[in-house]
Amino acid sequence: MVAAAQHPNIEIMTYAEVEKVNGYIGNFEVTIRKKARCVDEEKCTGCGLCQEKCPSKVDSEFDLGLGKRKAIYTPFPQAVPNVPVIDKENCRKFTKNKCGICQKLCPTGAVDYEQKDEIITDKFGAIVMATGFEQFKWEEVYGEYGYGKYPDVITGLHFERMNNASGPTGGKIVRPSDGKEPKTVVFIKCVGSRDEAKAKSYCSRACCMYTAKHAHQVKEKIADSEAIVFYMDVRTPGKAYDEFYEKTLEDGALYLRGRVSKIYQKGDKLIVKGEDTLVGKPLQVEADLVVLATAMVPAEGYEEIAKKVGVAFDKDGWLQEAHPKLRPVETHTAGVFVAGACQGPKDIPDTVAQASAAASKVAALFTKDELTTSPLISEVDTSKCSGCGMCEPVCPYNAIAMKTISERVPGGQRERQVSEVNAGLCQGCGACTVACRSGAINLKGFTNEQILAEVDAICL
Amino acid sequence: MSVEAVKDTAWEPKIVAFTCHWCAYAGADLAGLNRMQYPPNVRLIRVPCSGRVNPQFVLRAFQRGADAVLVAG
Amino acid sequence: MKRVGVFICHCGSNIASVVDVKSVAEAAKSFPYVAYATDYQFMCSEPGQEVIKKAIKEHNLDRVVVASCTPRLHEPTFQKTLESAGLNPYMLEMANIREQCAWVHSKNKEEATIKAIDLVRTAVAKVTRNEQLFANKIPNNKKALVIGAGIAGMQTAIDIADAGYKVVLVEKEPTIGGNMVKLDKTFPTLDCSA
Repeated sequence: MVAAAQHPNIEIMTYAEVEKVNGYIGNFEVTIRKKARCVDEEKCTGCGLCQEKCPSKVDSEFDLGLGKRKAIYTPFPQAVPNVPVIDKENCRKFTKNKCGICQKLCPTGAVDYEQKDEIITDKFGAIVMATGFEQFKWEEVYGEYGYGKYPDVITGLHFERMNNASGPTGGKIVRPSDGKEPKTVVFIKCVGSRDEAKAKSYCSRACCMYTAKHAHQVKEKIADSEAIVFYMDVRTPGKAYDEFYEKTLEDGALYLRGRVSKIYQKGDKLIVKGEDTLVGKPLQVEADLVVLATAMVPAEGYEEIAKKVGVAFDKDGWLQEAHPKLRPVETHTAGVFVAGACQGPKDIPDTVAQASAAASKVAALFTKDELTTSPLISEVDTSKCSGCGMCEPVCPYNAIAMKTISERVPGGQRERQVSEVNAGLCQGCGACTVACRSGAINLKGFTNEQILAEVDAICL
Repeated sequence: MSVEAVKDTAWEPKIVAFTCHWCAYAGADLAGLNRMQYPPNVRLIRVPCSGRVNPQFVLRAFQRGADAVLVAG
Repeated sequence: MKRVGVFICHCGSNIASVVDVKSVAEAAKSFPYVAYATDYQFMCSEPGQEVIKKAIKEHNLDRVVVASCTPRLHEPTFQKTLESAGLNPYMLEMANIREQCAWVHSKNKEEATIKAIDLVRTAVAKVTRNEQLFANKIPNNKKALVIGAGIAGMQTAIDIADAGYKVVLVEKEPTIGGNMVKLDKTFPTLDCSA
């Protein structure tokens, strides 16, 4: 994180979204909206006084509701950049036009309630999509696990926050309901993954390993604890992965093969009902904490950004690579690449490998000073063009414009309008050829003559 | 030809399909990749976009004896 | 006079186990302008491409049809083959007899072979109307945009930046790090995630 922030060749734009993408490989013109964070990044020193004194407290999204944050906040202490942002929906200045304490206290005068969104337009040769994943919303479909009603049924990511030294519990594993240390922790794998009836048909790939890690952490941090893992399969195909799983078993984690059919609250315990399918017997566990290994799904907003940039996605929303085996980081749009979990669920080692692969593709592209474009584009025969302009509005790439030509006719010169194709903008779709009434536009590589010859050959 | 006659002679239609390189043609490739089976009557013509399909092409196919034309994109 | 060369690929057994490649090559010889037709085990391999280059020279071919996998896979490969044999790369057409024939009609070998012949005939008909085309040159802005600053975005940005190119890393959240910064220790090494 720090390496990215400090690199002289990297400009980081946070709290920013891509608004519009025009152009093509080597020549993308991108509009980026830098949202107003209401704190001047240049002036702010990151002292934290504003967040300390802010009177509005809300649930922290970063800690998934396990902790609190202020209305002016940085999500966590080591944040990059260490510049707070104002949550306008919960800030008293914005909701009631009162308070304003952060501005009064800021020693450098960095707080600016009037700050406006900034629109930046820049040219790029390549775009890498690294839009990531989020957790499947299990609360919406898994009624048998309580639809999220039981505070002590949490997800793996909640568990991560609790384990993190800078997290809401300072690194202690506790029950969200009463803050007590759990003795029996049940882990359930494949919640949302490999469950076509309720959720997703795919395997989320990282859960087997992080669940093993979680079980290990329970055994390590809590004396005389029990870590029980309900699983369908244990999938550990990776370097040093199976060894890690075996070590978790040695630590004393209990793996039970079978799905959990129901969880319910009884007193301060959670009753977990399931089956051990290896012995073929139903069983019941009294648990203090239940951790669900939820499926990965594409990060919210994937559809919008994928459409803006021009990348296809599959039925589950994962971005489509150009070839699953041979072109794993390229897309069907030249100059656009994919990296990480936006292309499909993956763990950290795979993500890093794919990111480096995408970077090497970009670097290879940038070794060229000039790029060659496909010659399969439209061409106007000006001698046939009547200048009617029908082609101009049908072009989705704004590649056609009218121009005036001067030509010699009996009795002198004559000026008239004809259409012209911009070779840099034309993507070769051929829509203009169909709109052209006089047959003056043809598409090179897919000419009328070529296609009619194909039709004739098929219908022989 | 009546429906009955069609049944009797095991007549098979000839289908010409104009398919967009980016989607329908790619979809046909994907069907192949997944070894899905479909009747061999259809012949695909690859076009850069379904917008490239001039109505003339469709008429020409019918003129030359195609029984059906599919434009997919 | 147009002289078309037709090259039928077996793709190992992918095509040849369904389509009778020999009879497709034989049929191709009777199509208009076809001066040469043959089949080979792997057309995209080095020796396969040599077969094409040699035939172009020996039979004075000016355009080529390769019947093999989808053009979405190997069109650039064979365009380069033509180029290295001195032909314009756009004098190539492909007949997709793998994804759109052998693989989808694997239980109907006879019909698959008839269809493959039709597909080759279609490609030959098209290629006889091909003209030499030439690529345009456009400038290249050597600056990358990376969308999303999680593990993938940060690693991509660092690697591109290390290669000496400028990168803009855009993140919709107020801070970078994505899901990663929420994590504690990460497997299999159990080191910290920052």
